[in-house]
Amino acid sequence: MLAYIIRRMGQSALVLLIVGLVAFSMFRFVGDPIDNMLGQERTAEDIERLREQLGLDQPFAVQYFRFLEGAVQGNFGVSYRQGRPVSEILLERAPATLELAAVSGILAIVFGIALGVFTAIRRNGFTANFIMSASLIGVSLPTFLIGILLIYIFSVELGWLPSFGRGETVDIGGWSTGFLTESGLKALILPAITLGLYQMTLIMRLVRSEMLEVLRQDYIRFARARGLKDRAINFRHALKNTMVPVITVIGLQLGAIIAFAIITETVFQWPGVGLLFINAIQFVDIPVMAAYLMLISVMFVGINLIVDILYFFIDPRLRVDRAGGH
Amino acid sequence: MSRALTIAALIAALAPAVQAEEFTWAETTDPQTMDPHAVNSAAVLGFLNNVYEGLVRRDKDMTIEPALATAWEPIGDGEGWRFTLREGVTFHDGSAFTAEDVLFSYQRASNEASDTRSWFAPVSEVVVVDDYTVDIMTSAPNPIFPGSIANWMIMDSGWAEANNATLPDKESGNYATLNTNGTGAFRVTAREPGLRTVLEPFDGWWGEVEHNITRAELTPIQNPATAVAALLSGDVDFINPVPIQDVARLQQDDDVEVIQGIEARVIMLGFPHEADALKFSSETTDTNPFADVRVRQAVAHAINVPAILQTIMRGNAEEVAQLVSPAMQGYSPALAARPAYDPDQARALLAEAGYPDGFSFGLKCPNDRYLNDESVCQAVTGMLAQVGLRATLDAMPVQNYWPELRADNYDMYLLGWSPGTFDAEHPIRFLAATPNEEKRLGSWNFGGYSNARVDELLPQIQSELDDATRQAMLDEVAMTLQDEMAYVPMYVQPLVWGTRSNISMTQRPDNFFILRWVTVN
Repeated sequence: MLAYIIRRMGQSALVLLIVGLVAFSMFRFVGDPIDNMLGQERTAEDIERLREQLGLDQPFAVQYFRFLEGAVQGNFGVSYRQGRPVSEILLERAPATLELAAVSGILAIVFGIALGVFTAIRRNGFTANFIMSASLIGVSLPTFLIGILLIYIFSVELGWLPSFGRGETVDIGGWSTGFLTESGLKALILPAITLGLYQMTLIMRLVRSEMLEVLRQDYIRFARARGLKDRAINFRHALKNTMVPVITVIGLQLGAIIAFAIITETVFQWPGVGLLFINAIQFVDIPVMAAYLMLISVMFVGINLIVDILYFFIDPRLRVDRAGGH
Repeated sequence: MSRALTIAALIAALAPAVQAEEFTWAETTDPQTMDPHAVNSAAVLGFLNNVYEGLVRRDKDMTIEPALATAWEPIGDGEGWRFTLREGVTFHDGSAFTAEDVLFSYQRASNEASDTRSWFAPVSEVVVVDDYTVDIMTSAPNPIFPGSIANWMIMDSGWAEANNATLPDKESGNYATLNTNGTGAFRVTAREPGLRTVLEPFDGWWGEVEHNITRAELTPIQNPATAVAALLSGDVDFINPVPIQDVARLQQDDDVEVIQGIEARVIMLGFPHEADALKFSSETTDTNPFADVRVRQAVAHAINVPAILQTIMRGNAEEVAQLVSPAMQGYSPALAARPAYDPDQARALLAEAGYPDGFSFGLKCPNDRYLNDESVCQAVTGMLAQVGLRATLDAMPVQNYWPELRADNYDMYLLGWSPGTFDAEHPIRFLAATPNEEKRLGSWNFGGYSNARVDELLPQIQSELDDATRQAMLDEVAMTLQDEMAYVPMYVQPLVWGTRSNISMTQRPDNFFILRWVTVN
C-alpha cells in the first residue's frame, strides 16, 4: 500500500511539473510586461535593461527552472506590478477567496441537499416541479450574467446590498475576515449566491435522483410496512444511503468553487486571489500568474491524491487488482 | 485576550461612522506604487498629485501656477531657471521643506533607477543657493522647463534616508512603494495595493482649502459594468471612466451626472516609412506603397472621421488634424482643418501613385488600450476598403501590441499620444524626430519617419525663448507633418467621468482627478 501511495505522489509531482512547464511556455503569448512597467518616455535601452534584469531575455525553460529553484525554497518572486513578494500578496488575498468559497460551499450543500430531498419526496407537487425548472437557470446561465443580474436587482434597483467589494473587514492575526461586521456579511451575500448557485443546483439534482433511486428499494418499502414515520424513513434511512456519491461530488466540487471564483470575484470586485490573477494577466505579472497557477494545481492534484488514497481504503477490489488477481 | 480583541474590533467596526463628508471613488487601475519617481504613468502621477507636490502645478485650465515654488525666472540668457521656494511648508511628518529636499528629489528622480529620468535630460546641474532658492541649470536654453516638471514631486530627504528609500526600487519595492510623505493637501492613511487607498486631509497644508472632504477612499474596479452599478447604487461617488455606451443611460438618471471633456490624447494612424515592402499583403510584396505621400494622403481622404465620432464615439470626441489637440500649448490654429472626406479624391490619388486597383495590407490595432479602439479600426478598415485599400485587421491586447510594433510587424497601425508636457514639442520629440537612441529622440516613431528640416527645428524649438519665434517653428513642423502626412491624426479621445449629483468637481484635460477641487453637497 505504501508503494501505491508513493507512486501516486510521484505521479502528482510529475503532473505539477508539467503544469508549470506548460504555463511558462504560454506566458510569452500573454504579452510583454515591459511596456506596463516603463512609462511613455522610455527608450529602447531602458527596455533591454529591464528585460535583462527580470530574466525575460532567457528562454522559457530557463525562466521556469529559476522559478522552480525559488519555489522549492518558498520564494515565489516579486510581483512586477506591486513590487512586493508574491507569497505576501497571496497570503493577504487568500482569506477573501476562502471565506467566499466556504460560504458558497455551505450554501450549496445545505440548500442543495434540502431542496433535493424536498423535490424527491414531493416529486409530483407544483412547488417541486417549479424548483426543478428554476434549477435549470442555475445550471445553464453563466456566472457572469447571474452576478450582474443580482447586482442590478439588489444593489441598483432595491439598494439593499452593496454592489462590490468586501465591506469592512476585521484583522485577526493576519487573517482579514468579513464575518464580524455587518457590511462584511452583507457584502458576502450576492457573491456567495452567484458562486454557489451552480454547485447548489448540481447537488440538488444529484440528491434528487439518488433519493428517487433509494426510495424504490425494498428496505424502504419494508420500513413503510413496519409503520415507521415518513420523516424517519426519508431522513434516517433514505438520505443516509444517498450521501455516498453526493459526498464524492462535493469533494471534487470544492476545488471547482475556488477555481471558478475568478469570474465571481471579477464581477463583484471581490479582493481575492482570483481577482489578483485576472489583474496579473492584464499586467502580464508573470510571478503572480505562475504562483497562482501552481497553487491551484497543487490544490487539485492534492484533492485527487486524497480521493485516490480514499478509494484504496474504501474499495477492496482495487487492492486485489493491484495484487495481480483476476 | 483574542476574544476581547475581537469584540473590541467588532464594536469599532459597527460603531456609526462620524458624520463627515466621506468620498469614495473607483478607477479602472490601481496606482501601482506610491513612489512618485518609480513609475511614470497617469494612474500613479494622477493619484499622487493629491499627496505630493511639485515646484509648480497645473491649474484647472492646465496653466502652470506656483506650488512649492512661489516664483521662477530664467537665469542670464537661458542658462537655467531660478526657483524661489515657499517658506513655512511642512511635510506630512512635520519636517520642514527646504532647498535640500529639492536637490534630493532631483537626484532621486533623475537617477537611472527612476522612471522619470527623461524629464531631466535638459538639466546639467541643480544648485542650492540658500534654504529657499534653487538654481536649475540647463545645458541649453529651455523655455518650457517649468511646465515640463509639473509632475516632478518633491520628497523629504530626511524621511527617505531614514527609511532606506533614497532611490526608487521598481522591481522589488521599498518603504516608499507603500508609504508616502509629501506636502500635498491629503495624506495617505491606509494603503492596501489593489484593494483600497485611504486619504485624509493634511491639517498643516499651506494652501487654501476648497474641498470639504474629511476622508476619501479609492477602490479599483476593473469591470466597467460593476463600476457603473456601484455608481448607480450610490456605493461610490465617482467613477472614471464611464464606458461610452453607458453615457446616455447615466444621463437619464437624476442621481448621477456625467462630466464630459476632451482628453489630451490624439488618436492617429501610423505608417511604415522605412520599410522596403509590405509584410501582410497578398499581392504587393516587393514595394511599400505607404512610402508614397499620395498613398498616405489617400488614406486621410478615405476616412470619414465625423462618421466614426458619430457612431462609435456617440458624439463624444472631436476631430483633429495635428498630433496635438487644440488645448495644448503650441497648437497651430491655422492648420486646424482635417483633409476632407472624399473617396473620389482618394481613388484619384491612388491611381496617380500607380495603384488604381488599390492593394491589400495588414492593419494592427490594440483592443484594450484606447476607447473603443477595435471598433474604430473596424470602421477604418471598412472605409479604406471603399477606395480599394483592403486592410486585414489584426487587433490584440496592448501587452502584445507594443512588442509587435517594435518588431515592425505592421503595414499600418493605430496609436494614441498624450503629450506629458502639454506642449506641441512633445509629440515632435517622440513621434516625428528621426529615431536616435543616443539623443533619446523618436522613441515612439515606430515607422522611422525622418525629415531633416523637422530634426533641425526640434532643438531650436526646445531652446527658443521668444514665444512668437517658437510658435512659427512649431507651425512649420505641423505644416510639414501635414503636407507629408507622416501620420493621419483622426480625433481627440473623449474624457467621460460619472459622479453622484451631490458632488461637484473639476475635470482636468490630463485625466488627473484632483481631490482638493471636490465638494460634497
